[in-house]
Amino acid sequence: MRLSSFAPPMSLSSALEKLATFRANNTRASQETFQAASVILKSAQKLGDDGWAVLEQLFLASVDIGRLDVADQCLKQLAERFPDSPRVDVLTGIRMESSEPPDVVLQYYAQILDADSANAAIWKRRISVLRRTGKIEKAVEELSQLLDTFYTDVDGWLELADIYTSCNQYILALQALSHALLLAPQNPFYVLQFAETAYTAGDLPLALKTFLVAVDMCERDLDSPEEKPAVGISVRAWLGVKLCSRRLMSNSSPSASNTAIPKSLNLIEELATERVLSAYSKGAGKVPQGKDVVVGWIGAR
Amino acid sequence: MSKYSVSAQAYFKIFFHAAKHPQSSVNGVLLGKEEPAGTVNIVDAIPLLHHWTSLSPMMEIGLDLAGRHADSAGLKLVGYYQACERVDDTALAPVGERVAGKLKDSFKDAIAFVIDGENLGSGEAALIPYISQGTSWRPSGEANAFSAGSAFQLSSPDLPRRALALVQAQGSHQLFGDFDDHLEDVTIDWLRNTACMPSDI
Repeated sequence: MRLSSFAPPMSLSSALEKLATFRANNTRASQETFQAASVILKSAQKLGDDGWAVLEQLFLASVDIGRLDVADQCLKQLAERFPDSPRVDVLTGIRMESSEPPDVVLQYYAQILDADSANAAIWKRRISVLRRTGKIEKAVEELSQLLDTFYTDVDGWLELADIYTSCNQYILALQALSHALLLAPQNPFYVLQFAETAYTAGDLPLALKTFLVAVDMCERDLDSPEEKPAVGISVRAWLGVKLCSRRLMSNSSPSASNTAIPKSLNLIEELATERVLSAYSKGAGKVPQGKDVVVGWIGAR
Repeated sequence: MSKYSVSAQAYFKIFFHAAKHPQSSVNGVLLGKEEPAGTVNIVDAIPLLHHWTSLSPMMEIGLDLAGRHADSAGLKLVGYYQACERVDDTALAPVGERVAGKLKDSFKDAIAFVIDGENLGSGEAALIPYISQGTSWRPSGEANAFSAGSAFQLSSPDLPRRALALVQAQGSHQLFGDFDDHLEDVTIDWLRNTACMPSDI
């Protein structure tokens, strides 16, 4: 969306630090990136390799917030410094996507892929353009091919799951997500996404089981003697546990994945209630908000 | 057809939600009441999701909680809003149709707005109204919703410009939180979002 941003004064070192963190965490905070990178832009050549990374970062942020004038400046510098770089080819494609018709962009990507079929980044851009222009079947076909070649691409599996979800193909979405889980078993967000997809697919036993896995990942000291309130995304996981166990208690629904319903459903439901409420108990820090409506929801049958 | 009036509070919240997550789809619900004259007064908005908007469990819980909050404030859930991932996409997503359809069961004049990303920075009302026709939802058919004489009105014509200024000059949207945010940090006041509102509202 076309929103330019205001720029509070920022020191060069704090701007650099901020951008390095964004790069490391893959954070797409375009407005903040734009602000921080603008501070640095003038001294880019003096910063060595880091400067070029910042320039690339600023390019992407500028396209995001619609400052194509700045984007073009960055791209020009990068293209001069790195002629024939596949990475710059991707940036050129991204810049074209922001102003050229899809056909022209697809043709550009096809040309590059003809010369180098192993250019995964270009291939992924091409798939995203296909999806964006409504060629969903073609996008799914190419994305599946890409994942055949680059199996370990977690983002690719997540994208495939997202496409299937948007077409209400939840079983296929679950299959795609299970690959992401295999490849990145330490990420509780993917587990939650799997659980919520299973719930949407109507497989409540599988959803319950997976929400419990997420709980297990988020509450590492579950066995410790002193009780601590649920924090962070474990609240989301516990709410999921509560929702599933409550629905299963009133109505045991079948499971497409043949997941068994735990025998101790009552106890799981009670524990979930306790853990959700613990998150809303007043601690030392800031006060939890909206407790009354949560209590109301928990009490409802 | 009913008439709809969107308050500053509701418009700002919708705008901040979209501005905070420009590369994601976001959604939420609208709170209001029907005035005796037949105008639906949209008083407030409660932002729901931005992580993944097409899955149902947190939507289900968020809707329930938002409904309870509306009750306690003497208001009803009168509508749904959504912004798409892409600026040029202004279609009401299937999940939007489902939620809006559900709201219609308890409020017959329920409305849905899709945020017009192309117009968000323009200073014009960036909302495209969708009304229900049987089981499906279609654009209201008005060429210029929110212009003079339209069934859709803002409580003041300068709201889009003010919202834009609040985002650009003060970064108000950074103080804004939705149900997804709240589920990661329960101290975030997603139901009220008073922290990001200008002091006169």
